[in-house]
Amino acid sequence: MTTLAPVARLPLVTAELDALLRQVARRDVDAFAAFYDQTRSRVFGLVTRVLRDPGYSEETTQDVYLQVWRSAESYDPSAGTPLAWLMTLAHRRAVDRVRSEQASTTRESRYGAANVEPPSDHVADLVIRSDEHRQVAQCLGSLTDTQRECIQLAYYDGLTYSQVSDRLSTNLATIKSRMRDAIRGLRRCLGVA
Amino acid sequence: MTVPIGPTGSDDADLLSFATPYALHALSDADIVEIDRRLRDAPPDVVEAFLSEMRTVRETMAVIATATVVEPPARLRAELLGQISADPVHLIRPDQSRERRWSRVVLAAAAAVAIGLGALGVGLTLRPREPAPSTAEQVFAAPDVRTVSGEIPGGGVATVVFSRERDSGVLVMNNVPPPQPGTVYQMWLVGADGPQSAGTMDAKAVAPSTTAVIPDLGSSRALAFTVEPPGGSTKPSGPAFAELPLV
Repeated sequence: MTTLAPVARLPLVTAELDALLRQVARRDVDAFAAFYDQTRSRVFGLVTRVLRDPGYSEETTQDVYLQVWRSAESYDPSAGTPLAWLMTLAHRRAVDRVRSEQASTTRESRYGAANVEPPSDHVADLVIRSDEHRQVAQCLGSLTDTQRECIQLAYYDGLTYSQVSDRLSTNLATIKSRMRDAIRGLRRCLGVA
Repeated sequence: MTVPIGPTGSDDADLLSFATPYALHALSDADIVEIDRRLRDAPPDVVEAFLSEMRTVRETMAVIATATVVEPPARLRAELLGQISADPVHLIRPDQSRERRWSRVVLAAAAAVAIGLGALGVGLTLRPREPAPSTAEQVFAAPDVRTVSGEIPGGGVATVVFSRERDSGVLVMNNVPPPQPGTVYQMWLVGADGPQSAGTMDAKAVAPSTTAVIPDLGSSRALAFTVEPPGGSTKPSGPAFAELPLV
């Protein structure tokens, strides 16, 4: 079996998910199940990475897919691929959940310990199961430590850029440009259009 | 008057520097409000550049999600499929712009259906059946006849043609998915003293198009829909999945 690189595979995934989403919008339960099966490990994995709690992660994953079921018709192909639409939705929900938990308890007590170790370790700690994973891991590995740290804190820990700035005692403009440079580096490495 | 700091275009560059944190959900709610405000006032090419950068960030992170895949527990799939099949109808979004167009279409449709109203009481079990054709005709002929309509995303349209003077309404549901086996839809007239049952509809009554007379509107302000066990409930057993304002 040939494993295609992520970017080579993306158009195939896009066409298939796009077709499934259209069927989901017409209340097709089988299409929904197929859409779930094709995307569940990405969604659950990202949500788990952000929430770090199995119970919350399962609830949030369910919420994400309920939202898919209810709003599949709002997916607009001109605004991006179905996968980007889905992962944006999943990340948004996970971050919202982190922030609401943070507001009701204290995030520091629950999540603080995890951040004592160098943040880059989280990103480096990847599940490498195929060439696809390996390519993505290599691209993440190609970032500078400070870029990776920014992505870790903002994207995976759900901090706002100003919280990242406080955490790293680095000014806001620098944090924003590190984030931007990190994405540019990843994009170039992955060949994302 | 404030003197702009920096050369021309620095505001645009500053705005663009927020595109990546915006797409990464790394802005606070207050930041988002502020950035949205600035985007409304920004030149179109700056807005396009902002959106284009956001799209790129999202596509990139969608590929990066390959790095964090984790298989969810198998029972999550079963729970989810159970949830979506128990979720046949969605929030009605009243659509003001469509109201006028619908009022004509629905009046015609409802009037056509009114001829066959004998079958329309099906499942309307909680209130005594009225001599329906006459009520519907009276509503349509009333000088104060009003129409409210709401689209159910992916699940049809519900419309009420009603008259306060006649104290009655006619509900038309087109292409609304039927309730799941073992459940009914129950309609509630919601007034100051809470919801009063206005009847139930079973699967047979719902598909594919349903018309029902709703008498005794009283001072109700909305018609709400819930999912209930067969025969209906005395009080809504859960939140309404749809609601049409009777105004």
